Amino acid sequence: MISTGVSGLDEMLGSGIPKGSRALYSLEPGVDGQLFMISTLSCALAKKLSCLVILPNTTVDAFRNDAAKMYGARLDLASGPVTFIDAIDRERIQKSSQSPQIRAREWKRRIQKLCRDHNVDVVFAYFDLLYEEFGLDTATEIVTSAQERDRDKKVTLVIEHLNLEGAELLDKVINEGKFDLVLAIRSSFRPFPQFNYFTLVHTSWAQLPVRSVPFIIAEGRVIPYIPRIVVTGPANSGKSTFVINAADEGHSIDRRGFGGDMTTVALDFGWLRWKDFDITVYGTPGHTRFDPLLPPYLRHAMGVVVVIDATKPDLLPRARHLISLITKRRIPYAIAANKNDLPGVMTLDQIRGELGIGGEIPLFSITAERKSDVNFVLESLVDSITQFSY
Amino acid sequence: MGTVKHLDSVMFLVTTRPDRRDYKHSDKMIKRKMYTYKSGIVQIDQVTGGFDSGTNILILAPPMSAADQLAYALTKPLAGEYAIVLSTNERAAEVVDAFKLAGADKRFTGVIDAITKSSTPSIVDTPRLMFVSSPTDLTGIGIKFSNMVETIFEGDFSDGETGLFPPPIRFCVNSISTLLMYRRLEVLYQFLHVLTAKLKKIEGVGVYLLSSESFDDKTLSLIKQLMTCVIEVKVEQNVNYLRLRGVSGVNGEWMKFSVSKGQVTILP
Repeated sequence: MISTGVSGLDEMLGSGIPKGSRALYSLEPGVDGQLFMISTLSCALAKKLSCLVILPNTTVDAFRNDAAKMYGARLDLASGPVTFIDAIDRERIQKSSQSPQIRAREWKRRIQKLCRDHNVDVVFAYFDLLYEEFGLDTATEIVTSAQERDRDKKVTLVIEHLNLEGAELLDKVINEGKFDLVLAIRSSFRPFPQFNYFTLVHTSWAQLPVRSVPFIIAEGRVIPYIPRIVVTGPANSGKSTFVINAADEGHSIDRRGFGGDMTTVALDFGWLRWKDFDITVYGTPGHTRFDPLLPPYLRHAMGVVVVIDATKPDLLPRARHLISLITKRRIPYAIAANKNDLPGVMTLDQIRGELGIGGEIPLFSITAERKSDVNFVLESLVDSITQFSY
Repeated sequence: MGTVKHLDSVMFLVTTRPDRRDYKHSDKMIKRKMYTYKSGIVQIDQVTGGFDSGTNILILAPPMSAADQLAYALTKPLAGEYAIVLSTNERAAEVVDAFKLAGADKRFTGVIDAITKSSTPSIVDTPRLMFVSSPTDLTGIGIKFSNMVETIFEGDFSDGETGLFPPPIRFCVNSISTLLMYRRLEVLYQFLHVLTAKLKKIEGVGVYLLSSESFDDKTLSLIKQLMTCVIEVKVEQNVNYLRLRGVSGVNGEWMKFSVSKGQVTILP
């Protein structure tokens, strides 16, 4: 497997791109997604795999500078086992003949020669100029010629393409079986802020659902971003404790209730980085008088944790009502049965029965005061989110 | 240029600045009226009030005319506005100088330079000057455009100075002719289709230069499809003429014009 350099994405793919496969990173115009290719290249070089980079639209020097700026010193293009075909080579090939067939043959010859001379393991190709010049079939033949040269070698191919045709092109390449992995990198061009996300459109080696994950670019890395996980549940079930223990940074807005205990009156808010995902967690107040707040919180949630007090069966109908709101919106969720360190805890089977949920819904017995328990619930929910078919 | 505060002062801005129209109550929601970009040409602004946001203007002109100056005059940011130039045939420094001569505040002018990097690969981006490897690099051009717009929206563009919010952005491509030398018409059409649509979304205004003599009718007609209006330019006996197509209320007669220090003057 070759890592993409994006841990969250690697996990979705089952630890990376299989050797010998063909991966397409399809970029929408304007989306800042070039780091996907660069980080995959960096991972291949870090594993000492011999790489060929095909750069028809830029020179090696400009590419080195851009890549270093994007990825920093981690990308060792100077001493790593990497060779290039760049814009200068393209110009020479273009000048060599008026005939597209002859030029295509020349491209293949050069690629195969470099692969042979450098024993190339992975070919990285910037595709759109080849696509424009030769069309899909011939351009694909050119970049896959490295794989055709020696099938036993299992050369991996990673392509970045500026996709101006959108879903139509993706459907075509998937239907024709041209690529094993199709990752669409897109953006919703809202004025403020811009919102980038990637969609795992197709994998040939596993039946994975189509799924989209927002991402941000920070510190030279692609960081999958879960903008909203909502933590809800009946009052005094331990939601604030859950949020505070989940978060690297968190806040709770509480007031003293009539009984003298603290209760959340606005929201709990936390931010954390978990398994390479940036996650923002919102805790809702549990009292019914705050219920009008719930729909707007749930509207843009990517996942929900329902925290219940496992020692209070009388609060389960309330939890059941909250779960019905979540399932109506088809949001992945997990249930945390809190306070398992106290006497009178219900069994998980009892809770499932009372809540009317099947075995497919993750249910965990925890104490929210233990960070490891909280992390376990979040890990399960992040898995559900990345595997959820939206 | 006066400082205009960001974000916190949005309501203040929209209710007090004369060139930013008021919010208007409709039946169910409060909706801001579209921003209008002054063209700087009295004959147009008097009739139409300027160009509506989302307008894409094609300047169709022969070589050696005053079309470049006209494009820069239409793109020059007024107080509170921003300008982005995608330069395919001049270095960023030259564009900035041209805007400076036209009286623009350089802190509100950004350039995406598709020229310099081929000779200076190590050149570094700044918030207002960004570089792509060549005019073939549509991926890079798209990304730098998005990045520059985002920088403007985030208030990190103008050395601490801020303009109106949401920011009115004038965008200029100088020129489509150069891009057409490197990329096929169909590809460029698709790319410009996305770019013009994005500009509409951010309520900007676009000015695109295209040589009227270097391309066939099919090319001209396809590019025109992406535009809201066309300014045709011709030169006769060293005098520049322009006429407008697609601007309601403005007659389509040829008018003599000159451009000096970023100011377009219609001559009698």
